[in-house]
Amino acid sequence: MSVETTSAPAKRSTRVATPRNFETTAWLFMRYSAVLLIPLAFGHVILQDVIVGVHAIDVDYVDMRWRLIGWRIYDAALLIFAFAHGMNGLRQVLMDYIRSDFWFRIVSWVLLIGFLVISAIGAIAIIGGVSA
Amino acid sequence: MSSSSLKTTLRGYVGYRGKEGQWSFLLHRITGLGVLLFLAIHIIDTSFVYFAPQFYDDVINVYRSTLFGLGEVALVFSLFFHGINGLRIAYLDLFKPTDWTIERERRSALISLIITLVLFIPSAVWMLRNLLMHNYGLFGG
Repeated sequence: MSVETTSAPAKRSTRVATPRNFETTAWLFMRYSAVLLIPLAFGHVILQDVIVGVHAIDVDYVDMRWRLIGWRIYDAALLIFAFAHGMNGLRQVLMDYIRSDFWFRIVSWVLLIGFLVISAIGAIAIIGGVSA
Repeated sequence: MSSSSLKTTLRGYVGYRGKEGQWSFLLHRITGLGVLLFLAIHIIDTSFVYFAPQFYDDVINVYRSTLFGLGEVALVFSLFFHGINGLRIAYLDLFKPTDWTIERERRSALISLIITLVLFIPSAVWMLRNLLMHNYGLFGG
């Protein structure tokens, strides 16, 4: 699957047909979402953690920020892409260590449910906004 | 994962002398898992603004402590490294797979670490300044 470990001379590399299955899609998703997450996650962290700083963040700050619909769309995109990228990354890491197909399937379902539940909590907060 | 396979894995990580390629592989995994752990917690703490806004400022107060402030610096390093190194992986996989050779990877891994440090060092200085200002009254805080 991965070409990362290939150390054969460049000229001898050959192209092989890749099956269009879930793992190929997941592998591509990690790379495409990575490109998207550079502006989204770097922008978010540079702004909130470095420029604004956690000492200036409180419930009123979130309320002010989310009055602009653009920030809610930005945060929703960040939530879905970052968390999907992270949970699939965890699944791919665990794939290396869990040898049993049965347990890997169980773990994958647990991760999917965890992803859906925590994403839903985050999405409800972004849509609902700051409660009075 | 059985304990013997975990032991084999850990022994392999320590014993294998893969240099830059292996270090960036390991650091990519560790930083990715670290960012994911924080992200899951951060989604929950932010959702307090909707579910329990009266407690949100108490939650943020935990992040203002010196211990979490240092953790935040580590988080920023992790995100920057994972992002820059991830771009390197995406570029090599999608556009230049022939550059996945030991010699070329040594160079590209080093370049991504340098770009990471260029972004991280000024960010860390500014965050530590904020931390010393707010928690220890330095720099006129």
